[in-house]
Amino acid sequence: MRAARLVITARTHRWAREAALKLTGFATSVIACKCEAGIERELAPGETPDARPGVSVLFFTMDMDSLGKRLIERIGQTVLTCPTASCYDGLPDAADRIMAGRALRVFGDKLQVSKVVGGQRYWRIPVMEGECLIQESFGVQKKGVGGGNFLVLAGSVDAALAATEAAVKAIEGMPGVILPFPGGVVRSGSKVGARHYKGMIASTNDAYCPTVRPRTKSELPDGVNAVLEIVLDGLDAPSISRAMRAGIDAACRPGVKAIGAGNYGGKLGPYHFHLRQVMADE
Amino acid sequence: MSDLVRLTLRAAIDQPIELDGLTPDRTSNMSGRDIATLPVFVGSRRAALGDFFTVEGERSDRVHIDGDLRNVDGLGAGTAGGELLIHGNIGNRIGAGMRGGWIDVRGDAGDEAGLGMQGGALRITGDAGARLGAAAAGASKGVTGGEIVVNGTVGVDAAARLRRGLVVVGGDVGADAARAIIAGTLVVFGQTGANPGRGSKRGSIVALGEIDIPSTYEYACTYQPTYVRLLLTYLYRRYGLASPEATLDGAYARYCGDTGVPGKGEILKFQQV
Repeated sequence: MRAARLVITARTHRWAREAALKLTGFATSVIACKCEAGIERELAPGETPDARPGVSVLFFTMDMDSLGKRLIERIGQTVLTCPTASCYDGLPDAADRIMAGRALRVFGDKLQVSKVVGGQRYWRIPVMEGECLIQESFGVQKKGVGGGNFLVLAGSVDAALAATEAAVKAIEGMPGVILPFPGGVVRSGSKVGARHYKGMIASTNDAYCPTVRPRTKSELPDGVNAVLEIVLDGLDAPSISRAMRAGIDAACRPGVKAIGAGNYGGKLGPYHFHLRQVMADE
Repeated sequence: MSDLVRLTLRAAIDQPIELDGLTPDRTSNMSGRDIATLPVFVGSRRAALGDFFTVEGERSDRVHIDGDLRNVDGLGAGTAGGELLIHGNIGNRIGAGMRGGWIDVRGDAGDEAGLGMQGGALRITGDAGARLGAAAAGASKGVTGGEIVVNGTVGVDAAARLRRGLVVVGGDVGADAARAIIAGTLVVFGQTGANPGRGSKRGSIVALGEIDIPSTYEYACTYQPTYVRLLLTYLYRRYGLASPEATLDGAYARYCGDTGVPGKGEILKFQQV
């Protein structure tokens, strides 16, 4: 996948987070949302280009063209609109660039101003509150990894929730990784395609659905009554492995019967995370 | 090949000499002997660099020079890369037309430092003379890229005809600063002299100290520009040039001009509380 990291700053953490939440909204899966996005972590003023509080966001799409379109749409509708917010590139060393700020500058209707600071160009776009500052180009990580995952198989939904919440807490803030689904957790795990509806790209992962255990080729061990999935997107495979290890460690708690993964028969994507190998690595 | 090339003055230089052939990108593939034979002009008389300096090291793009060089003009002119560090004062036209690299003067500089600069960074920890980062005589554009940072005060006509790039003055700046600039930014931490930004088409003057706004600039509003915050943060992190905390969070009055041109430039004046 293609990935970008955005650094959103604002007068306060609250407004930086408001912009980031809107920007990463409805971005759970490229299948229907055209992108996957999430908050990587909050940034202290000392970590941001303008020394204001900030939020780091990771953004994923299937190709370069789509990444450019989605960034322009979303930065334009969320950061540009959010009081006091600014948007900077978080991958300054990336050779491949998307000129999202350059595209958005035209909102200024020729009253925008360009400035170069430290070799990077920024656009000052006049808005009713003052100016919105957006960096001209954003770096692209061409080998981003989408869809890293593990399944928490539990005796009850309460146990599954407690385990996945612990896993999410352990993963949140780790560099280079986001959890794009609600609260970082997925209940509607999917398999590739569908047996009965030809047009479907994905359909329910019935092998892990407890309510249809007798009607399908179930993979569920005895005593499992609820399964939740943690899905991870990362800038690279090592970041995903580190986060999976931390998440699985945290998820192993009372009520959890097994940890598994949606491996899709090895058919989905070039990156495979073998859980035993992930847990063995240091 | 050595880690750096070090030049040390043999004796005080009591008349102006021209030394515009010494740049760190050139010394990166020169032997010590070749460096010592670089031409130096004393008036119209040709001499060699080795007549004035002892040379230690060879084939390095790091050049360090010790001594009072206030009579040495044109040093580092046209530098395209590498590092030139001067422990002492330097004469006129240091880094003129430089295209890249880093020149660091740990002292004062004469006139026309960074004249017509195109890229790289020129840092002067002391004061600088007139026409800092200005246009060469007859040129339509001054600095077209790079960064000039002076910790101390600067003379008249700084950043004249600036086209791109950044000129920063830690102290006061003389009259006619940022005259007829086309783009780019001049930041002045101290007092700005008379007639700033006259005839400017575009570009910015960021004034943290006192400044008299020319009558051809129109007041727009008072606000907190994130751009200034970004810029001051950058200057602190890259050059250690600390801004008063109030200038980061404080308000700036924005004036648009020069309306006499008419221009689309601006003066951002920090509002002292």
